[in-house]
Amino acid sequence: MKNLYITGVAGCGKTAIALGIALKLKREGINVTYFKPVGSRPRLQGFEDNDAMLMHEILDMKVDVKMVAPFTAGTSYLSGLKNQELALTSIKESYQAISGEADLIIIDAATFPHVGASFGLDVVNLAPLLDAHILNVVKLENDLSVDQAIFFNSNCAARGLKLIGHIFNNVPRQVLAKTEGVFKPVLEKMGCATLGIIPMRPEIASPTVSEYYEVLGGELLAGEEKLGRLVEEVIVGAMTMESALKYMRRSANKAVIMGGDRADMALATLETSTSALILTGGLYPDVKVISRAAEKGVPLILVHYDTYTTIEKISEVSRRIRPGDVTGINIAVENIEQHCDWRLILKSLKEE
Amino acid sequence: MDFIAEAADDPNTKVILCYIEDVSHGPEFLKIVPEVTKKKPVVILKSGTSQGGAMAASSHTGALAGSNLAYDTAFKKCGVLRVSSMSELLNLAIAFANQPVPKGDRVAVVTNSGGPGIIATDEAELNGLQMARFTKETIEELRSYLPAEAGIYNPVDVLGDAKTDRFRFALEKVFKDENVDSVALLVCPVAVTEPVETAQALIEFSRAYPEKTVIAAYMGGQALAEGTKLLTDNGIPCFSMPETAITAIAGMSAYRKMRERADAREKVDDFKPDQKTVKAVFYDVSRDNRLALLGNEASDVVEAYGIAVAPTALSQSPDEAAEIAEKIGYPVVLKIASPKILHKTDVGGVIAGLQTPEEVKNAYVNIMETVHRYLPNVVPYGIEIQKMVPKGIELIVGMTRDVQFGPLIGFGLGGIFVNLIKDVSFRLANGLTSADITEMISETKAYMLLKGYRGERPVDIAAVSEVIRRVAILARDFPEITEIDINPVFAYEKGVAALDVKITLS
Repeated sequence: MKNLYITGVAGCGKTAIALGIALKLKREGINVTYFKPVGSRPRLQGFEDNDAMLMHEILDMKVDVKMVAPFTAGTSYLSGLKNQELALTSIKESYQAISGEADLIIIDAATFPHVGASFGLDVVNLAPLLDAHILNVVKLENDLSVDQAIFFNSNCAARGLKLIGHIFNNVPRQVLAKTEGVFKPVLEKMGCATLGIIPMRPEIASPTVSEYYEVLGGELLAGEEKLGRLVEEVIVGAMTMESALKYMRRSANKAVIMGGDRADMALATLETSTSALILTGGLYPDVKVISRAAEKGVPLILVHYDTYTTIEKISEVSRRIRPGDVTGINIAVENIEQHCDWRLILKSLKEE
Repeated sequence: MDFIAEAADDPNTKVILCYIEDVSHGPEFLKIVPEVTKKKPVVILKSGTSQGGAMAASSHTGALAGSNLAYDTAFKKCGVLRVSSMSELLNLAIAFANQPVPKGDRVAVVTNSGGPGIIATDEAELNGLQMARFTKETIEELRSYLPAEAGIYNPVDVLGDAKTDRFRFALEKVFKDENVDSVALLVCPVAVTEPVETAQALIEFSRAYPEKTVIAAYMGGQALAEGTKLLTDNGIPCFSMPETAITAIAGMSAYRKMRERADAREKVDDFKPDQKTVKAVFYDVSRDNRLALLGNEASDVVEAYGIAVAPTALSQSPDEAAEIAEKIGYPVVLKIASPKILHKTDVGGVIAGLQTPEEVKNAYVNIMETVHRYLPNVVPYGIEIQKMVPKGIELIVGMTRDVQFGPLIGFGLGGIFVNLIKDVSFRLANGLTSADITEMISETKAYMLLKGYRGERPVDIAAVSEVIRRVAILARDFPEITEIDINPVFAYEKGVAALDVKITLS
């Protein structure tokens, strides 16, 4: 039985990678299961960790979903309600229950590698405890992201941990060449293996309108059937028509936030590539706006808070793969098959 | 549209009046209406609706445009007369229905009161008419008969004490004058005025000279009502104010001018552009799910259409940047390449005047880091390297696609003050003729600069025209382009160079 600990910073796409690897290896006949020792609180409904629920369903796991993510470290977890001993015990027990007859347990790390350090539950402390190999997912923001990967790598090496390598995830097309030609050699020089470079795919990187609708609530005035549209950019239409239009016409698949009373701006926006129109202030729009949105198949969401609150809320929206999301799941697997050296990952796991 | 087409063929219809809120079938309108206006005048009163939707078609040049301008431009192209009020609409209808279209712009005014004469003169000039200059004989004859205080040049003032005989004399001479295309009679009610008899005289001359346009203004309400009725019954439009009379003549004259222009023009389309390059660029853009082209891509597109551009290329590393700079030659300017960045200078994305490979490499890293500090979430495509070219006269040539009427071409003074000065003229790209281009250039203040202002040498206007023409063809060939903005394009004594080209697709 092997353990693969997948870590990385928030938003790097750990779960998609975990999902891709799990399904790929499952197809190769390996009995894969999933474990998330330190989970995070879901923002919306329920108390279970979202990733745990997803993997529990997709891998058709028999154990209770609470076992998959036994402990959650919220942003106030040190306030006294959590107990270090109990946490460690429940993690160990759950791990025992889950591992069962599995050949490989994919362990999904918390939002950051350091989360849980106060209880000794961070990646560097848990990996040896669970006898896991570590795979780091790099979120490529700039050159410093590479430094971060190297720093983490050296840290693991100093502690004698088995870090098998790094995967660059969601790499924008414009930096693919640099990743291959500059970053990869730099990592190599510093003794770090690059196990994959996965190009950005808006189909799984961008949230859909329905993810916005879930976070925002409000009324859906048109475009019910188009909630699956991707939102690649958010624009706030709080300028004059002239300056707003410049931005509107230049960005594709965008969500635009504006006051409900700005019929001129709404109509103009609908003539450009728009995935959703979010009207704020609880102001019902002109009927022309509704009919045009319906004609164009653009979801029209009316929310009752002001524009500022709407923007604040929207910052919480992110793309999650859901159990029914066939496209998303297929892409996750494709990414592992085509852009990662999964054979090497398997091989590295076998090395002691 | 069906009504307009039908009315065009109806022998009993002399003029077609329309009240519209918008044109929903722009292409059909552009096809049918020009044919109709060759046969008879079409006068349209358009009220504004759906500004918002139509404004979507606007951008740099277009923000100056908006839909109203698109309508104006389209109507002009079709030979449609546009009016802004119901009274204008109906006054023009009365004029067209009763009077011939004037042969020229020269109008003669005969009046018994100085004030209205001057008001009419002002109005005539304001509306593109000319006050007729009488022949020597006419002036001599007027002088010999009229009192010494009378105005014998145009406007002819027969004075307040004039009875019909004096009006009759003046009208006869004015109608006879070959330099007069239309006659306006303005009558004020004074004790001696003989409204009916004077009207009678006007009707006689109007019959004797059926090719001349005649309009009257009887400014006396009830006192002159009988004369007004007589005129109207005899097919001479009679209004109560001089301005109205003159605007009616001006409207008819404008119709003539538009018809002449339509006759004189044929399209010029003898040009084989390199569409392959354009298609290849558009393919790349759509593959990236972008709408805005990068600067170097936009340059490639217009260059493929034979528009001279300052050499521009995209680099993805400092070394590549230096290599390109060596190839295109110094000095160069480096600009951040990202469709997400609208104002490059504001985020430290532009460094100019670079002379050596070292400077270029340093500037590359410098720009990348500064831009990242301002916009940490934007991943640039790299950095554009452009050869710096000598300064010329800064012009703007742009295209914006109107929702109803398709591409509109704009031309004017370029640079950073475009929005402030708003010196831009527009035409429809479809059916754009060389005459249109010449006209649109000469409409702008930029034209004065092009011709050589204050001792400067004139620049290559032919090359500027060619840029306008090719942008129009590009817009016509690729309907997926929503806007093109070349600002500035430098005009030189010989040739031009496009510096900053922006293209957005739909």
